[in-house]
Amino acid sequence: MNETQGLVASLMLLVAAFLYTFWPAGAAARQSEKTQLDYLLERKEQLEENLRDLNFEYRAGKYPEEDFLAQQKLLEQETAELLAEIAQLEQA
Amino acid sequence: MATFGSFSLLIALALAAYNLCAGGLALWLLATNRPARVAPERLAETARRAGIIGFLAISTAAFALIWAAFTNDFSIIYIAEHSNRALPGPYKFAALWSGQEGSLLLWGWLLGAFSFVLRLRHKTDVRLYAYAGTILAGIQVFFLAVLNFAVQPFALTPGPLPDDGAGLNALLQYPEMVIHPPMLYLGYVGFSVPFAFALAALMMRYPGEKWIRITRTWTLVTWMFLTIGVFLGMHWAYAVLGWGGYWAWDPVENASFMPWLTGTAFLHSVMMQEKKGLMKSWNIWLIFTTFLLTLLGTMLTRAGLVSSVHAFAKSSIGNWFASFMLIVFLVCLVVYLLRRDHLKSDRGIESLVSRESSFLFNNLVLLTACFVILWGTLFPILSEAVIGTKVTVGAPFYNNVAVPIGLFLLFLAGVGPLLPWRATSLRAVRRNFVAPCIALWLAVIVAFLLGANPWKGGTFSSGAFYALVALGLAAAVIVAVVSEFARGARAVARQTGSNLLISTWTLMRRNSRRYGGYIVHLGVVLVFVGLAGAAFNQTVESELALHQKMQIGPYTLECTGFTQDSNENYQSEYAVLNVWKNGQVQFQMTPEKRVYLASQQPQTMVAIHSVPGWDLYVVYEGANPDTNQPIIKAFLNPLVSWIWIGLVVMVLGVCFALVPSRKAAPNAATEVNA
Repeated sequence: MNETQGLVASLMLLVAAFLYTFWPAGAAARQSEKTQLDYLLERKEQLEENLRDLNFEYRAGKYPEEDFLAQQKLLEQETAELLAEIAQLEQA
Repeated sequence: MATFGSFSLLIALALAAYNLCAGGLALWLLATNRPARVAPERLAETARRAGIIGFLAISTAAFALIWAAFTNDFSIIYIAEHSNRALPGPYKFAALWSGQEGSLLLWGWLLGAFSFVLRLRHKTDVRLYAYAGTILAGIQVFFLAVLNFAVQPFALTPGPLPDDGAGLNALLQYPEMVIHPPMLYLGYVGFSVPFAFALAALMMRYPGEKWIRITRTWTLVTWMFLTIGVFLGMHWAYAVLGWGGYWAWDPVENASFMPWLTGTAFLHSVMMQEKKGLMKSWNIWLIFTTFLLTLLGTMLTRAGLVSSVHAFAKSSIGNWFASFMLIVFLVCLVVYLLRRDHLKSDRGIESLVSRESSFLFNNLVLLTACFVILWGTLFPILSEAVIGTKVTVGAPFYNNVAVPIGLFLLFLAGVGPLLPWRATSLRAVRRNFVAPCIALWLAVIVAFLLGANPWKGGTFSSGAFYALVALGLAAAVIVAVVSEFARGARAVARQTGSNLLISTWTLMRRNSRRYGGYIVHLGVVLVFVGLAGAAFNQTVESELALHQKMQIGPYTLECTGFTQDSNENYQSEYAVLNVWKNGQVQFQMTPEKRVYLASQQPQTMVAIHSVPGWDLYVVYEGANPDTNQPIIKAFLNPLVSWIWIGLVVMVLGVCFALVPSRKAAPNAATEVNA
């Protein structure tokens, strides 16, 4: 490729880049703001996963029963508080 | 091609700059709700498109340079200096990263490729991706500015064109060099993505930890590439440099190892944030540090700031990198200070006896190792700046510190999986640790009886002692990890009624991330087994007349020939050695020495025979000028192949962890989900 061919190819690339960048698009992607409720629902999902993990680790023999029950109670309490918060937001 | 390549780079820079400015403006307008003539969403879309087409522009530049190498276009000075007509095709391709200009172009191209994928997937979370894409555009602007104004890969050869090029550096004419640098760079560049997401999440006060899930695949893939890159570099050093070792604590080796250490720490501690919202500030700084270390690594390798067998370029781009690193650090610091209230954790670690605390220890140990290595690597530069004399830090410094740290990490690799999340009692811990402790002592006794005796010959060998500890810990970690699989599989078997094999598979598929991680731990153990073998290396050097023999370990090496050969790329001398064992010839080895014609650089081609127990590693050191007889140096390196096997296991583990977990059957979901 000589210099002239190189310049022509570069010009074509420039035009293509310009057209692609500024070509009128359909509706641009939009996203609504993430709400507190969305965030709490994500946390609920994570807490449920943590509970499943705890349950599994107990069944796999990593926790003695008393440790498991104590941890389960804590996690369930946390989940209950979260669910109450979610319910409050959903009502409002 | 030079014109087209140069313009492509310029267009790529303009597009990245537009992406940065338009993207930044759009995000500012959206954040402040200010009225604007152009809708911010539309402006952000043009920025995204500029990023996409920018990848095409930098791809054409990379293609132009490779094309120039394949067509022997010596009008481009880079091609004249790093290629020649007789260079085999794969090495012409490798010429792209054999010098500073080309390797920075590779950095820029890979960054463009990662950004391209990110921009195509923007609908996952439009706002977060827009922030991350804009941050990546900022990094692209830096690299493209360096490529356009500081190093210029398409600079023209002054004066009359040479008939042939100077050829590729002899050390790079080795098959692994065609894949090692791209792997390492995929790792280096890849950390830009989790960095961009972390900074983006902090800038926009992203609610929750979902951004970690979004970047999980990126982080794992990046870590895998960096791991492959580091290990391929080790294997290259082992097979090409001819000194019998694979890691010399060379500054460039260290530069690739440091982001690996902080990246590994991040991979562990980010799980605590994802699961429990812990250690948010810590994780943010870990990924910031990792990214800064990848920049430092690139600077050390490409700016030739430190003397290294791996540093193939010397230049003044150090100032560019130092300035950019300073800017990045300041941006990170300012954003952190402005948003640190967003990083407050809801709670702390509940107990010292928990998975969380083992991750915390793992992080502290990894960071200590990183700091020690950073100190040793930069000490020559610092000492020169302060006292005017370059004080080099040798391997003993690193070994004295890194070996005990490494052993502690190995210990944690076994402890972590045994500890449950949150908290447990010491009684449970004792129960879980019985089998690994038995395995540890059994392994130590067996290794001791097999000859791993630190007090052999009446003197204490710290190397042998550490190797003994490593082998014991390796056995303990293997038992710990296998017992985790067994415990889980038994629980699944009880619930589903299937046999243990199917249950193990079901278990792994239900939580591919956790069990893929455990496979990675097994790989790490194998690597440590391989490293432990270095304490028992043997070496013999001898000049061999025809049919003369030398002995090393169980092998007898007999010289049956000494000859020369040549092709259009190089001349070579090699010895032909029959290797005897148990009174029979087992195989033949041909260690070689080459001189590349274009560059007139010599190169050792080591002959290696690998079995699981050891490597027989033979170097042809040249002919004695007085007797014209070959000088042969032989090494017997125990367990080395386990390092490479460990790498394969680690990669398989990461690949498995990347497979999405299969959900348990609905009725079992709350009962058993490993």
